[in-house]
Amino acid sequence: MNESRVSDAEDKESRKPGRIRDLRARQSVRIIDKLATKVITIGGLFVILAVLGIMAFLVAVALPLFAGETITGSGVFRVAAPRSALLSVEVDDYNTIAVLVSKNGVLTPVHASTGKPLRPLKLDFGGTPASAFGRTLKGGNVAFGFPDGTVRFGKIVFRTQVLPAERVPKGLTKIDERDFTDGKVVYSRIPGDQMRKIWVEAEVKEPQEVAPQGTPIVKLAYKVGGTPERPSISFATVDAGGVARLSLTETKVNLLTGQTTSSVESVVLPDLPPGTRIVDILLTEKADKVYIGVEKGFLLRYDTRNFDAITLVEKRDLLPMDEKLTVFKALIGEESIVVGGSKGYAGIFFQARRPGAATSDGLVMVRGHELERHAASVSGFSASQRSRMFATMDSGGNVWLRHATSESTLLRFKVKEMANGPGRLIRLSPRDDAIVATDEKGVVNFWKFEAEHPETTFQTLFGKVWYEGYPKPEYTWQSSSGDDAFEEKISLIPLIFGTIKGTVYSLIFAIPIAVLGAIFTSEFIGPQVRSVVKPAMEMMASLPSVVLGFVAALILAPIVETWIAAILLTFMLIPFLLLLSAYLWQVMPPRVSLPLSGFPKLGLVFFVIILGSLLGYLIGPGFERLLFGGDFKAWANGNIGIATPMLFIIFYPASFILVAFLAERFLGYEWRQKLRRMAHSRGALFELLRWGGMLVAAGLLSWVAAVTLTALGLDARGGVIDTYVQRNALVVGFAMGFAVIPIIYTIAEDALNSVPSHLRAASLACGATPWQTALWVILPTAASGIFAAVMIGMGRAVGETMIVVMAAGNTPVLDWNIFSGLRALSANIAVELPEAVKDGTLYRVLFLAALVLFAMTFVVNTIAEVVRLRFRKRAAQL
Amino acid sequence: MKAKEPKKRKEKKKAEMPVPEADLDNYMEPGPEAAQTLEAEKSPPGRTGLRASLDFKARGEPFVWIMGGALALGVLMIIGFLALVLWNGIVTFYPGPVEVVTLKNGQRIAGEPFRSESFRPSDEQLKGVDPESRRAIREADGFASRTLYRIGNFDIYNEDFKWAVAHQVARTETPPGIFFVERREWGPFIGFIKTLTLDGRRIPGEKVSLDALYAAHDEAVDRREAVREIEVDEIGAINYYIEEDRLALRRTELDYGKNSAEYRTEKEKFERQTKERRAGFAVLKKRISAINQEDEKYKITLTEIGGREKRLRLSEIVRLYPANNLSLFGKIGVYFSRWGEFLTDDPREANTEGGVLPAIFGTVMMTLLMVVFVAPFGVVTALYLREYAKQGTLVSIVRICVNNLAGVPSIVYGVFGLGFFAYTIGIRIDQLFYPEKLPNPTFGTGGLLWASLTLALLTVPVVIVATEEALAAVPRSMREGSLACGASKWQTIRNIVLPQAMPGIMTGLILAMARGAGEVAPLMLVGVVKLAPELPFDSFFPFLHPERSFMHLGFHVYDVGFQSRNSEAGKPMVFVTTLLLITIIAFMNAFAIMVRNRLRRKFVEGQF
Repeated sequence: MNESRVSDAEDKESRKPGRIRDLRARQSVRIIDKLATKVITIGGLFVILAVLGIMAFLVAVALPLFAGETITGSGVFRVAAPRSALLSVEVDDYNTIAVLVSKNGVLTPVHASTGKPLRPLKLDFGGTPASAFGRTLKGGNVAFGFPDGTVRFGKIVFRTQVLPAERVPKGLTKIDERDFTDGKVVYSRIPGDQMRKIWVEAEVKEPQEVAPQGTPIVKLAYKVGGTPERPSISFATVDAGGVARLSLTETKVNLLTGQTTSSVESVVLPDLPPGTRIVDILLTEKADKVYIGVEKGFLLRYDTRNFDAITLVEKRDLLPMDEKLTVFKALIGEESIVVGGSKGYAGIFFQARRPGAATSDGLVMVRGHELERHAASVSGFSASQRSRMFATMDSGGNVWLRHATSESTLLRFKVKEMANGPGRLIRLSPRDDAIVATDEKGVVNFWKFEAEHPETTFQTLFGKVWYEGYPKPEYTWQSSSGDDAFEEKISLIPLIFGTIKGTVYSLIFAIPIAVLGAIFTSEFIGPQVRSVVKPAMEMMASLPSVVLGFVAALILAPIVETWIAAILLTFMLIPFLLLLSAYLWQVMPPRVSLPLSGFPKLGLVFFVIILGSLLGYLIGPGFERLLFGGDFKAWANGNIGIATPMLFIIFYPASFILVAFLAERFLGYEWRQKLRRMAHSRGALFELLRWGGMLVAAGLLSWVAAVTLTALGLDARGGVIDTYVQRNALVVGFAMGFAVIPIIYTIAEDALNSVPSHLRAASLACGATPWQTALWVILPTAASGIFAAVMIGMGRAVGETMIVVMAAGNTPVLDWNIFSGLRALSANIAVELPEAVKDGTLYRVLFLAALVLFAMTFVVNTIAEVVRLRFRKRAAQL
Repeated sequence: MKAKEPKKRKEKKKAEMPVPEADLDNYMEPGPEAAQTLEAEKSPPGRTGLRASLDFKARGEPFVWIMGGALALGVLMIIGFLALVLWNGIVTFYPGPVEVVTLKNGQRIAGEPFRSESFRPSDEQLKGVDPESRRAIREADGFASRTLYRIGNFDIYNEDFKWAVAHQVARTETPPGIFFVERREWGPFIGFIKTLTLDGRRIPGEKVSLDALYAAHDEAVDRREAVREIEVDEIGAINYYIEEDRLALRRTELDYGKNSAEYRTEKEKFERQTKERRAGFAVLKKRISAINQEDEKYKITLTEIGGREKRLRLSEIVRLYPANNLSLFGKIGVYFSRWGEFLTDDPREANTEGGVLPAIFGTVMMTLLMVVFVAPFGVVTALYLREYAKQGTLVSIVRICVNNLAGVPSIVYGVFGLGFFAYTIGIRIDQLFYPEKLPNPTFGTGGLLWASLTLALLTVPVVIVATEEALAAVPRSMREGSLACGASKWQTIRNIVLPQAMPGIMTGLILAMARGAGEVAPLMLVGVVKLAPELPFDSFFPFLHPERSFMHLGFHVYDVGFQSRNSEAGKPMVFVTTLLLITIIAFMNAFAIMVRNRLRRKFVEGQF
């Protein structure tokens, strides 16, 4: 109708003489056309780029994990040399002030990055210079040991205060772009028009006698635990006579006067030969362990949980034969001990529970990490206050920043302008972003650096790592803890394994059902049945996975747990009953069976399955009692029963296939020749008997195999079948089947359907049965399409999140046990990312996990897509 | 070996030269297509002498049955699953009787039977059991049955549910006077009415008439609603404006500094306005306390089965009914009233009770917003790929990529959405436009907008693929006809191609919506919360607040099922929510099919 009007108008126009039709397109049309082209092209390219940009973004976020650490600044300067040797050097949180602590109690603060001196402080040591120094890792608590056998506690703390810019006093000296000083306090300009004020405060308390009068204290370890209101102070000392003591300080507050009185109790550590040259003594915060490092290269571990009965638990060699111990210090958490040798050895030891340990507490010290060697004797050490980083220095002046878990050397510095020899000290700053090194002459080297993700290397993410307290190197994921001392375990392997485990078990369940169902739908039932069944299966695809997960975890998991034996039985009964009914169906004369081959036959299949489930439910408990000692869970845990029945079940399918193969190979042809001459029903009965015979034969074979292997010591438990957990891979596989079956089914059915019907017709016309046609004509043609379907289903299973989050129990285990849980990449991201700090290590590792997941599905999907396109092309050509 | 088989058979056949025979009895079963031909073949009588060989292997009956079994199992799984959800979802709100169970040890439990199951008592549980029951259990292969009762009264018992094991039950009765009382707090109360105080008058329980009780309760509910309205709407508005003023003040501070004249005037204004607004509070509070005073006169005292009493205001009760003497109509009334509450009310008690209106709202808003993003971009991309781009290797690679992206796990999109939209773009937006709210993020955290964009990204491949297929299906002749008539490319696309492809595009869009509505994993990262304080849509300018976090039905299922105090108590809620979610998605899918069919018909008619 539209057209006729147009043509009318044209006619009218063409009839008018003298008027030439304007054939040019209107300007507006042209502009709109051009505009549309531009918009669509730009829009299209934009969306494609945006979608592809996802990968680029994930890479961009994850990449800093592998980026190296960078040095952002350094400085060398000389301060007025202290009059006596140095005990320690301290730095504040913002790397503004460095304080040199010398033996006579003089503290020399300097501006850390320029070396500008600030007003010195003096601690009152009563005239005697200190002979030993100890400090807690955090909090600025220090302790000094003296030649007269006394110990003084004190504090060297950096005070910080943030002020509005206008409240800063006038007349400050400018140090650099950021900092100003009045000689004592340093003011730093910080964002938001504010100033940060930093200064040093120090105090020292009255001496407390530890060693007998006149025995100098040479080594001191100092710990403050408990709460700020009720601190528990403990310290360990070594005196010049080689006697080591553990001392506890008890502080009592008099409620009436408010006065605090403290008393010291000391115990001499046993089994320490006099004159042992002790390198260092270490103490845990709870004062339940003391380690002594001896110069000859071994350590002594004391159990001090019972203060009145301290025992030497273990003596452990630390170093290669010809090396002397030079550094013996603890990392944060006081579990890992860094050991340095006179020839540059560096290693980390911690205690771990190992079978066959000869010690009284079952723990032994193990060498968890062997680190890169220094070229010369290791002389200096400083541990981080917040991570497992530490710095070591050798006598050649090389300062290395290292990380314990990843065993990597992050940065290497070389001191400048320093004299050789002992007395050089290093300190890692509280925020892990600077190192200060000094020597006796007052030369200070200062380096600033950035170490964002020192713990992530390819090895820690994908390799085995020996974590603190573990008996051996392992793949472990354990990311979150509120404690700095916790060693982060970020191996992605357990998560990748969990993803693969979930995928494999769901596909074992889904592929047979989906593919066989698709073949049946496409080849063996009429269009009217298919038009009902196919949409029903497709509907399952749009079920939200959160619903599947909920049903799996809260409804299915408890049922499966109670009825596990019955469910296993049902899975065996259903195929058996189906085959039985198939053989019985054959017995029916075709005159009867042929008209029933549509809906009624399918209905019978349904009935058989329901019957199988019902039978499983009814005889399940009996089956359990017969084969698994009445309690499958206890059996799976290995508490009761023997392995033979399960082995029998496992071997049965293989035996049946073997028996069937042999029967076909040696008797098949003759058997068929015989049947050929028989009447239909008689032949079918013989066929049924043959099948029964094969079942029995396979049963016998399988039983013999099971008994033999049990006698040989093989147990079905311990691999795929092991300890039962309520939320397990079986439940996940089943629930994920719901998500995967419709996808595989639909795509496979489409592939089977798109095999040109003339092939089917030709095959049937040549006299092939539908079964032969399906097996030898349709399946080979559609095989690549079915493969693609399976791959796409696999892609979905790999990425499925909610089902795994809810039904898998989320334990990062590394075993194939079908009755234990798993933690998949996707679930892990969903659970941990909301709590991860932006740009933190965990955040980036989770982005890496997402990238791994993306890559896994991308590979699988691309294979599927390429295969599918090829199949389509081939199907079109046929 | 199988490949060899036919050859071998052929040779032997040749040797024997079997006469081809066809006996109907031995006819191999053909497929359904062949069934008709078979009927036709039956009639010629001359062919009965022919006989086909009887070969069961060729028929493959057992294999066919196994395949049929696979299909049937698949279908049964769906049916079973849907039946489970439907049944549980539909039955949940139907009021059951309240049973009083007296155990053999004298303990009494009053509660609604929740579910029964057979279980395997452990040895410890079997210790105190009398020998008779023990024998019965042994005969049942160690299984015993038990019933879970919803006993309510959480504030008294500290548990919501109690198992009654069948062999321990002495007798079960359904006393007529027992009430099921749904409270706003502490979950349901199951017990008897001891006294009812109406307007200060005390009426003993046995004299309470139901009609009077219901009337008084309705009034109390009205009062509660009135208080709520004042609290949420009026006080909420005041708070909202005070906050707006504060932000304006902070903005001036950031723009001009604290010492500027602008800041001082603004501050003065702020203080004056806030004072005025605060004055409004007092009036409202007075109104609330007046209502509350009235409310105090209407009270009810309940006693649980053990005799312990609980006194509460009538307005604290959501619904109450005498569970055991409720007529069928009464039950249906309670049933629909519960559905009404579910669909139109806010959640209570950590989401395990009350309604899901905010979640429905959030789901719908997010899905609609997602369609707004996904429709133009998806269609434009498909147009570009199909109509504008040169068809070559590059485009087919892009096509594989797009197809591929449809299979990328949704959680990956969630990670991207969080990292890119919220943490990269959102934080930038906050710095530029909302500096006064910092450090509280506005767009710099998950929210409705980011969630819809993430889901749009997730579903755009679906739309692209569907649109491309629809575009490809438009016959070339139509395009060429249009171009030959002098239409420009865009005119052709707009007037010929797009209308033709519309059914396909619509289907793609609605399928994308259905997928988007059911997706939960990415939302957990980009803005879904357990309980949103404010809807993303309200009466304050600009009405739609795309930066707010929101509630979602799918997440509600996860949250109530897994994060709540007692997953058993949440289960009914989860089932009903599940039912609702599945219904919404099923409706969307059905709608997609309907639209497709309708448009197809329309365009079929329009074709020439």
